[in-house]
Amino acid sequence: MFHWLEKRPFFFAVAVFVVIAFAGLIEILPNFAQASRPVIGTKPYTTLELAGRHVYIKNSCNACHSQLIRPFKSETDRYGHYSLSGEYAYDRPFLWGSKRTGPDLMRVGNYRTTDWHENHMKDPAAVVPGSIMPAYTWLFKNTADIDTAYAEQLTVMKAFAVPYNKELPMADGSKATVALADTVEAARASALEEAKVIAADMKDQDVKDAVAAGQVPEIVALVAYLNSLK
Amino acid sequence: MNKTVLAAIIVVIAMLGFTYVAVGSAGGMGGEGDWVNKLAVLGAVVLVIITAFVVTKYVRQMQNDTAGGKLADENWDGIGEYKNELPFGWAVIFLGAIIWAIWYFLAGYPVNAYSQIGEYNEEVAAHDAKFEAQFANMDDATLNAMGESVFIVQCAPCHGLQADGMGGKAADLHQRLAEKSVKHVVMNGSSNNLLGTSMPMPDRNGLMNTNTNALITDAEIDAVAKYVAGGLKGTEGASVFAGACAACHGADGKGMEMVAPNIAQMSPSMVDMVLHHGKKGAIGQMPAFTNLTAVQYKALDAYVASLSKK
Repeated sequence: MFHWLEKRPFFFAVAVFVVIAFAGLIEILPNFAQASRPVIGTKPYTTLELAGRHVYIKNSCNACHSQLIRPFKSETDRYGHYSLSGEYAYDRPFLWGSKRTGPDLMRVGNYRTTDWHENHMKDPAAVVPGSIMPAYTWLFKNTADIDTAYAEQLTVMKAFAVPYNKELPMADGSKATVALADTVEAARASALEEAKVIAADMKDQDVKDAVAAGQVPEIVALVAYLNSLK
Repeated sequence: MNKTVLAAIIVVIAMLGFTYVAVGSAGGMGGEGDWVNKLAVLGAVVLVIITAFVVTKYVRQMQNDTAGGKLADENWDGIGEYKNELPFGWAVIFLGAIIWAIWYFLAGYPVNAYSQIGEYNEEVAAHDAKFEAQFANMDDATLNAMGESVFIVQCAPCHGLQADGMGGKAADLHQRLAEKSVKHVVMNGSSNNLLGTSMPMPDRNGLMNTNTNALITDAEIDAVAKYVAGGLKGTEGASVFAGACAACHGADGKGMEMVAPNIAQMSPSMVDMVLHHGKKGAIGQMPAFTNLTAVQYKALDAYVASLSKK
């Protein structure tokens, strides 16, 4: 067989590639398949959270904030448990980021709440002395795009089998289900219900009025997203 | 004399010349340098000479030597291969590599494999052990300093560096309860796990004033809120407190175990409960802080409790 291969450079090259790649494949592929499965407790985004994720991307939050906690004590002390691959299972695209002008936001939902985000987005330096982050006042006026978020949910459910409407195991042994509406009207209604809960914890009267009138300001969607980062 | 040898000698002389120009008398050639410089230059000269003559040897060998031996049967476009013995050193290296591969596969890799998470775990365990040992028996000053530094990192983003709540963005920790908070709690009730049990406080529809035998009124709420926020001093609101609050919170407001928390002052145990469970009240929601060590909790509890006594 070697004699045969030695006379055929193309097949010889293929054979060399197979032999060299083999060790890599058996080491990398099973590990990769295992690590990319969702970690227990990871849930797909709700409609409002996904709309908030779009706001996050639209305003390039990921240009200054990473979402990747590295396994160093200094990082885990500050931000919480280091990130696992499976925690990004429902992130499309992932927002790891590579630059930390601001702090990491991978688990910001664990240690910041709705009212803090509200204060912070209006005037970051008022809560973080010396902060160079600009104010994002337009988030309080612009309306979030719920329809696009719903379209993305439907797409990822069909194309990538993201488990909406299915029971998912949680870390404490309970089950959780992330519901996905059947129609876009129902999706708008459920997003508004989520928005009402968040707006109740906010102080801005314009935001409260907008939610009462059936609108979802971008800040509400963004806070829903940030609160979901755990 | 062979041309190659002549070329080697010319190269050696040229390099020695360059060396002299470059380092000059500092290199010891003029007799002024120290012995380290002299040795270095001597070494350089020896290296140049050896290199030149080794290269010369191999160039001449390529020019003159011819190969011999028995040819193998295969040949490729007229290019053949001699059936020479494998050099002994190669055979040793080959067999050694096989033995090493077996060791590496069975023991070397499994036992010594590096893992980033493994290194992280070791680092954390070592740090925790050192931390526990260093702060096992803290004096009060160290405890206070640790509490303050934890406060600056974990609490100051909302409560401010001065712990004053930054203009109402979070609770002012210099007092146990603000007037607004007392009102909110009396109006809406409270269930913040301050005692570690889910013993909720009723809203205003469950608060009887025993002095008047009626539900607590708006005017009474205003009065008692001022009284509690003022540290239970003075007379205004005192009777409402005695009638509506003291049954659970005690006449002095210091609370009762398993029934109601201390509302006269901050206590370390109450701060600890808030840190572990979070809190929702008049100002907004505070998240739970679960990322601290036991010693850090102790320090932070004591520090925050001490703020209100100043």
